Amino acid sequence: MQYAFYPGCVSKGGCPELYPAALKVCERLGIDLVEMTDVGCTGAGVLPAEISDPINARTFAQAEAQGLPIMTICSTCTGVMTQANARLQEERYREAINAEHLAEEGLRYRGATKVKHLLWVLFEDYGLEKLKEHLTTSLEGLRVAPFYGCYIRRPSDLITKDFKGRKEYLDELIEALGAEVTEYSGKGKCCGFPILTSNERNSLAMAGNHTHEAKSKGADCMVTPCPLCHLNLDGNQDRAGAQKGVEIDLPVLHLPQLLGLAMGFSPDELQLQRHLVDTRPLREKMSVLA
Amino acid sequence: MQVTFNVSRSAAAGNGAAGAAVSTYEVELAEAATVLDGLLKIRDEQDGSLAFRSSCDRGLCGGCAMRINKKGRLACVLPVRSISKNNIVNVEPVRCAPVAQDVRLDMERFHWRKMKKVQPWLSPRQTPSREHLLRDEELEETRAAMRCNNCGLCDEGCTVIVVDSEFLGPAALTKGFRFASDPRDGARLQRLRQLSEPGGVWDCTHCFEANGHCPQNIAPTDRIFQMRDEAILNGIKSGITNPKVARHYDSFAKSVRQSGWLDETRLAIESEGYGNLKGLLKLLPTAIKAMKRGKAPLPYLHAKRPGAEHITRIFEKAEEK
Repeated sequence: MQYAFYPGCVSKGGCPELYPAALKVCERLGIDLVEMTDVGCTGAGVLPAEISDPINARTFAQAEAQGLPIMTICSTCTGVMTQANARLQEERYREAINAEHLAEEGLRYRGATKVKHLLWVLFEDYGLEKLKEHLTTSLEGLRVAPFYGCYIRRPSDLITKDFKGRKEYLDELIEALGAEVTEYSGKGKCCGFPILTSNERNSLAMAGNHTHEAKSKGADCMVTPCPLCHLNLDGNQDRAGAQKGVEIDLPVLHLPQLLGLAMGFSPDELQLQRHLVDTRPLREKMSVLA
Repeated sequence: MQVTFNVSRSAAAGNGAAGAAVSTYEVELAEAATVLDGLLKIRDEQDGSLAFRSSCDRGLCGGCAMRINKKGRLACVLPVRSISKNNIVNVEPVRCAPVAQDVRLDMERFHWRKMKKVQPWLSPRQTPSREHLLRDEELEETRAAMRCNNCGLCDEGCTVIVVDSEFLGPAALTKGFRFASDPRDGARLQRLRQLSEPGGVWDCTHCFEANGHCPQNIAPTDRIFQMRDEAILNGIKSGITNPKVARHYDSFAKSVRQSGWLDETRLAIESEGYGNLKGLLKLLPTAIKAMKRGKAPLPYLHAKRPGAEHITRIFEKAEEK
């Protein structure tokens, strides 16, 4: 099982704990990752399609030449690439980009590359039963709030229309790891990160509402497949709490970190100490459970 | 068939249905009856005080938008059978909308005041001496936005309006697109500038909730993206009162253009602005914490990705256009 691995910017920037955690987990599972290095940022919904579509077409063309599907560890990368890929299915548009941007370095995108997030790979390609064979540490007793965010579930016509299960993968994974799902209303809403610059107040209100609600419903931690969500939910949680007038202190884990804990990696190996919200209460609870 | 309707009742102009009482009605309906058929029958035969809006009965006018079994929908085109196996229908007002009474919204406060802000009328370049002839494809995207029936259901799904009722929201922004994209309109750039001010396109999280809520398949989030892209390509990267948005775009584009990927720490600094001491100081506590934990890579020492020159070329060609 081999993928062209697109790690994205944030897993090596603002969330450097994500990249090694993903590599460790995938190596243990036998998911072979061929890292794409000669590729650009997806545009993250910031760059206009006139710029980001050629950049993404270039990425897709490289994966296509290797005959591999792309795997990401970032919902935003997944979403932006999926939207670009949908536009690039239109042959005239794709060929115009090929001619103008890709041909000069000998690349051509034919429209065949598939883009998948690690979460989708686990369910759609790898299989939950096979995954369970690698679980060594039950997370039983741990209450985990799933935070999907936006791009791993929307827009629905591109993401969930043909894969209805994607709406619940995170819930199912938490249960498969032996942990308990904390239900709360914000799990599929926006974390607020995309408007952190343009409207900080609204952005922090969103992050504060979701983390506070999950904590109030009894969660020990939150888990997200998107490092941009992590930047707001973890990185700005203290400011979001201050704006809301509450202390939240809810650790927010990346998907490979939660999975890694259940696979027997230690919190240190998964670099939980790097998070801005103190993860020690979570570690203590885990050691008690162990 | 016997159907139970639980309808949220709110007498005064409150905000949403929080704490509103619920009235329960039992009503006999035909197998193919819609939710609106049920509500009309209740009002005719059981409770004349029940307040809701409806008009066309064809899914065209948008008047009967309400929250039915936990989802915003048009009652007149929704067969009871399609949403309830046990014949129980729960009806509430649209979320985040001021209520006039029961499930009838205060549309002035919810919808029309925002619509007025986007100047929903055509501003022709000059008084035409004859009809303005257009090819079909020129009006294709505009026509999609013209399908909007002002039901407000996209706003019901909006993740920003939940925390900020002053955000223009996908409905009004889609109306803005309807005119900004119209080839006959002469105020396109002026509109994009106006919609770039706070509360406009840059305050949208592009969460794509609106697309899933729109019963007309207009894809409001895509329309907002189109306006943002159009604004950037015309050099309008923010409004006058929110220059941080432009600085954010410029810094983002600059680092991807130069190195192929994003210099996040530089983005945080440059978005605030070098001369914005207050803004930079505000970043400090989080920045120090992040640096201590190795989560804030040093800005500007940002290695180029292999092949970065190809990314730079893509930017150059887009700029040449």
